[in-house]
Amino acid sequence: MDKSKLEAVVASAQAPEQNSRREFMKQTGAVLGAAGIMSMVPMGTRSAAWAAGSDAPELKEVKVGFIPLTDCASVVIASLMKFDEKYGIKIVPSKEASWAAVRDKVVNGELHAAHILYGMVYGVHLGIGGNQKDMAVLMTIDNNGQGISLANQLKDKGVTDGPSLAKLIKAQPREYTFAHTFPTGTHAMWLYYWLANYGINPISEVKTITVPPPQMVANARVGSMDGFCVGEPWNARGIYDNVSFSVASSQDVWPDHPEKVLGATDEFVQKYPNTARALVMAMLDAAKFIDAESNRAKVAKIISAKSYVNAPVDVIEGRFLGNYEDGLGKKWHDPNHMKFFNDGKVPFPYLSDGMWFLTQHKRWGLLKDDPDYLGVAKQINKIELYKQAASQVKVAVPKDVMRSSKLIDGKVWDGKDPKQYAASFKVRA
Amino acid sequence: MKRILIIDDIKDRAAWLRASLELADFHVTGVLAWEQVDEHAIQAAAADVIIVDANAPGRDTLEQISLMSTTLEKPVVVLGGKKDQQSIQEAMRAGVSAYVAHTIQSEDLSEIIHVAAARFLEHKRLRDELKEARNELVERKTVDRAKGILMADHGYSEADAYKRMRSMAMSKGKRMAEIADAIILAKELSA
Repeated sequence: MDKSKLEAVVASAQAPEQNSRREFMKQTGAVLGAAGIMSMVPMGTRSAAWAAGSDAPELKEVKVGFIPLTDCASVVIASLMKFDEKYGIKIVPSKEASWAAVRDKVVNGELHAAHILYGMVYGVHLGIGGNQKDMAVLMTIDNNGQGISLANQLKDKGVTDGPSLAKLIKAQPREYTFAHTFPTGTHAMWLYYWLANYGINPISEVKTITVPPPQMVANARVGSMDGFCVGEPWNARGIYDNVSFSVASSQDVWPDHPEKVLGATDEFVQKYPNTARALVMAMLDAAKFIDAESNRAKVAKIISAKSYVNAPVDVIEGRFLGNYEDGLGKKWHDPNHMKFFNDGKVPFPYLSDGMWFLTQHKRWGLLKDDPDYLGVAKQINKIELYKQAASQVKVAVPKDVMRSSKLIDGKVWDGKDPKQYAASFKVRA
Repeated sequence: MKRILIIDDIKDRAAWLRASLELADFHVTGVLAWEQVDEHAIQAAAADVIIVDANAPGRDTLEQISLMSTTLEKPVVVLGGKKDQQSIQEAMRAGVSAYVAHTIQSEDLSEIIHVAAARFLEHKRLRDELKEARNELVERKTVDRAKGILMADHGYSEADAYKRMRSMAMSKGKRMAEIADAIILAKELSA
């Protein structure tokens, strides 16, 4: 199915000059208030009453922001394969230069929704590092597929993994610098969790900086960091460019961890519930499509284009298919590679997933006090809306809004006692 | 007098912005390129307000620096290009800041934004004009080349070649340069 259409999409994605130019024109934009709260539009009140059939989208065009990363694939595919049109909307993907810009544009309404870091949505909702705005997670975009890399010069010092890194830092003290992609985001949390697992305190013992994903490898090349955590394809790119090597994938830290989400403001969901639902339906179709193993190579080719990830297809495709190498000579197939669907288990916005980021924000001092973990997650993760969308496109919905996971340090997270969990870590801010 | 730090990779724009702000009696304590941005550089600039381009990738770097160091929480004026009174006002209402903006009077901020926004806009207009002028030159050369092909291959006079291209452009609803591109491409294919 969809074969010839897919071929056409592959072909057109390779020559998208015109589109990208148009996108670019759109982006060179307005005077922005960072994290601004726009004019206070009265909230809509029609979110409660929904019945299948009365669901014409309020908006025809839905602008969805993304950052050049492998997991922006579902936004791109939902648009290029025209899954959006099946549900009466047109997704306009908008490539953004920084997570800060994604946040600002979602908050001020310039973007309706975005491919966005899970923890970042929670950070904005709680007003960490900026103005507070009530936010929404419509669905999870992907699990797995991020990674931690170390600069090649550490290899020469005998560092090949977490324990040897910890040994070096203790034996040869200096300012070690590690980069992630945003202070409240997922990569910061994977990096911190991983470092802490080897007894390295990411707040007090090393310096952390933020670098946008597409700039990561270039920054590592000029020697401004000892390691970084970023989404693919940028870890693979670091190996390809002979700049860095892999010490861990994010699924090593937490198998099937939540990563990017489809994020929006709560205001958007209240005002345009049908549009939000249609968007989730199109994104679920895309997720299903991408997870079909036979489509993956083509999807890799499509997103490699300049207007999307802008990286060699070889760099994207390997890890996208689960074929890993670490740049130290080891090669393996990882069954827990980046997933978008996994029988409906990936996209479901588990409350325990959202709460986990709050526990880590608390652990690392981004939150001073314990928030109402469950209450916040219930406000942000739009479980009901998701269920409506899933039932429309016949996607199985997990029974429980919590799930249980075992992380790299052996600790189990099941969402039951977040306050105790957040306080249970020895290494902390 | 408010002290201002400008972070911008576009040197002439930064210089221009600096001159304009100084003319308006603001004290510009530094101009940095994004690759120079780190905690020490921000600290050293000792600014009350930081002005950056909305579409600069380095903004994430600045967020981390501000969040990790409470003393470096500064109002950040984020500018794009559109001259739009309403969006300036919205930006004002928003506090124009990812960070805490308590320390600065909104009237001061307002003036800084107005001066800076106007300069950003002016710069964009000039760049666009330059780009347009360059495009026009390229297009004229393309049309000349296509004309040459028609004259050589079909024996048209220059005026006839031009006329044929123009009527083709009009009937297809395309620009002359696009028709010229097609002629050149066809020639290259058959060569």
